[in-house]
Amino acid sequence: MSARVVLSLALALAFALTIAPLAEAGTENPQGQDRPDAAALYNAGTEALARRDLGPAVTFLLAAYRIDPRARDIRTNLGIARARVEESQGSEDHASHPAPPPIALSWTESWYLALAFAMAGALISWLAAMRPRSTRLLITGCVFFAVGILSFGALFLRAHEEAVHPTAVVVAPVLEVGPAPDERPLLPYLLGAGDEVRLGPTRGDLVQVRVSGNAIGWAKRSGLWRVADAPRYTGNSGV
Amino acid sequence: MRAGIVTGSYRWIGVLLASVAMAAFPVAGACGTSPGGKLSIEASLDPSAVAPGGVATLTVQVRSAGLNLPDVTLPPLTVDVQRPNEPPRRTPVTAERAGTSQSFSMMNNAVERSATTVYRILPQSEGTIRIPALRISMGKETAQSSPLTLTVSRTAASQSQAPSGAIGGPAKAPGGKPEVFVQATVDRSRVFWNQQLLLRLRLYSRVDILGDVDWKPPPTTGFWTEGLGPPRRGRVLVHGVPYEVMEIPTALFPTKTGRLTIGAAQVRVRVSRVIQPPDPWSMLAVPEVVPQDLALASDPVTVVVDPLPPGAPLGFQGAVGDYKMALHVDSLTVRAGDPVTVRATIRGTGNIATVRDPGIRARGATRQYVVGSSTKVDRSGDQLQGERETDVAFIADQPGALTVLPVAFAWFDPEGGRYRSQRSDSVRVTVLPGTGEPAQAGRAGQGIAAAAALRRKPGPFGTLSPDPPPASVALLGLSALAYGGALAVAGARRKRLRDPRMARLGVLESLLTQDLSRADSLASRNEPARAAAIAEHALLRGSGIRYDVDLAGVARAERMETLRSRGADEAEVSGVESLLDSLGAIAYAPLETRVQDARQAIRAVRDRLERYRRELAS
Repeated sequence: MSARVVLSLALALAFALTIAPLAEAGTENPQGQDRPDAAALYNAGTEALARRDLGPAVTFLLAAYRIDPRARDIRTNLGIARARVEESQGSEDHASHPAPPPIALSWTESWYLALAFAMAGALISWLAAMRPRSTRLLITGCVFFAVGILSFGALFLRAHEEAVHPTAVVVAPVLEVGPAPDERPLLPYLLGAGDEVRLGPTRGDLVQVRVSGNAIGWAKRSGLWRVADAPRYTGNSGV
Repeated sequence: MRAGIVTGSYRWIGVLLASVAMAAFPVAGACGTSPGGKLSIEASLDPSAVAPGGVATLTVQVRSAGLNLPDVTLPPLTVDVQRPNEPPRRTPVTAERAGTSQSFSMMNNAVERSATTVYRILPQSEGTIRIPALRISMGKETAQSSPLTLTVSRTAASQSQAPSGAIGGPAKAPGGKPEVFVQATVDRSRVFWNQQLLLRLRLYSRVDILGDVDWKPPPTTGFWTEGLGPPRRGRVLVHGVPYEVMEIPTALFPTKTGRLTIGAAQVRVRVSRVIQPPDPWSMLAVPEVVPQDLALASDPVTVVVDPLPPGAPLGFQGAVGDYKMALHVDSLTVRAGDPVTVRATIRGTGNIATVRDPGIRARGATRQYVVGSSTKVDRSGDQLQGERETDVAFIADQPGALTVLPVAFAWFDPEGGRYRSQRSDSVRVTVLPGTGEPAQAGRAGQGIAAAAALRRKPGPFGTLSPDPPPASVALLGLSALAYGGALAVAGARRKRLRDPRMARLGVLESLLTQDLSRADSLASRNEPARAAAIAEHALLRGSGIRYDVDLAGVARAERMETLRSRGADEAEVSGVESLLDSLGAIAYAPLETRVQDARQAIRAVRDRLERYRRELAS
């Protein structure tokens, strides 16, 4: 039975990973924004890092990491940029700042991996249905399909969170995050260049800033770059 | 008693006024006039009885016709002390000259001068003070006053004391209202430990007060004392009588629990006495004002001090009152090496001077110093208010961030009877490189690896959007459909397999496709005996399945009877038995026909089992 399961999973993975580029081939546009170039983003981030322009450096490298997460150069420079951000903020453990993990999947790969599990589960279930006394094989197919569906759901939740609260990076040297004009006055939080936050709703030129799932106040939108918008700023110094 | 002397043609008026005065003023006095009538002296004592420690006023008035006025000297006074079983003895008495006033009048070319001297007599022990006759002389004229007696006794003095709570000393209003008295009150009789207690020390007066009042505050053992500003003045009505009131408010904060007593306050005050002129018709004879010193005391006050309730929050350091705390950072961006001053201000009502400073800490600071603390107290109201500021400076030597951690302050609210606390937010201060620090742009930080090189080739291309690819969604849908179909098929198959009739058909199918096929194969390989045995076993099992009975190992007669009992007709029973006989005879058949016979018998068994299958399937 195990041979059949492995064969089914391999077939599903091969199908999913083969069909993924084919399915998206129609939208590929190397010069446009739909399919940005990881190399261009990486180069822009590396140049910003050399200038110690930490906000844009982190933004570009995070965008490149989303496209090509297993690239060693992107992981290395992103780790350096984050370490310099912590160094600039007085953290003492910047030297041991871990680089992004080498085993990582892009968003697209994650979707298709979840799809492969679901397809393998369906295939194994069909094999079990065609054979008498194949209860264990049927359970294995159900487990595979459940893993695929749950992974798909988790990815969907992450995508929804990113759509509602997109990831952004502080590009201003010092960004004051304070209460809205109609809220009770409080001392503002100060964020430094390179700090990674999430954004909430906007009010005029202000945007809500969230850290660790909590809204900490409002800041000027000009001091923040969304990672998803990084290709728009390629070539911009960010200052 | 009081007597006066009038010279010249207005003597009878003086006699009349003296009579009125005697009726109006119950004081002791004595006077004397020279034989020529040009010189007179009058002495009066007020009061005539005084308690030890009290003050009696001796007023001596000398009058002379002419420009010369003789001087009066008061001899040393003593107290005659006489106690039971003890010989009489004399102790000296303090007599102070409080002041002298003079007047001058001229009428019908007659000149007259007068002088009034006031003495204060301060006896310390009980007894009798005898004031001898005071003698004056001028030329041939001589006059002397009558001797006076001052009784020093608590019993005698108490007969003329003011009502309870009012210490009027010698001065009494005609209606029994004291002219001067002092009173101490508190705003509440039960307080918590370190809660403010307002003590009002009031001096009520219906006569003019000369100079400053000498206040001696009451003993307040067990209290922290804070004065509430300068004395306040006003007018009040006490039992319908207007008084001038001078008040000294004091804030007291108990430092112990239990019953605490605020002692008696001592007040020494000088009031003015108005002495009527000897000649009311003289234009120059204005009333004389003579000062008089009084010693007053308030009653002690007792209050109950409760301890603070249990359950004090973490960080409570004994502050009691109504407070608010504010935190201020002087700069949110500094350069490395420059200080950041954090000020915690505690403002409110209570014993602000004893409030302990909250702890101010910061993360990311290399050094920190306490710059100082200051306390501002507002004593203008009835509640002691103020603010306490504490300044702490933090210095970060490295660029980065300096975070001022939340500052907490807890206190006990006596009005609400509960503990309260306040906590500030953390404040982040950006520390920029120092002015003399070299720029670090383009240089890897300490302990950070070198950056990777730039890429020369484009790609890969991808998407930054986390949305699922449409193809994956479509395929997931297809997978779900396929999975659902597989589950449906598997369920149907499982359900069919659980039917007994289908199970019997399945066994028959197995006999036909496996056992009889194997028997054919053996017959083809010239093994007719084994083929016949397999066919015989298949026939018995197939017949048993057809009629739902197990025929394996059953004897012939019993088998036939069983088949009949399960519904097989006689022809069927005979056919089965005949076929079994044929299969059993194959082993004994001639060699040249044995294989042929076996094939023929196997075919007959197959035909019979297929018939059974059709019958069960229908």
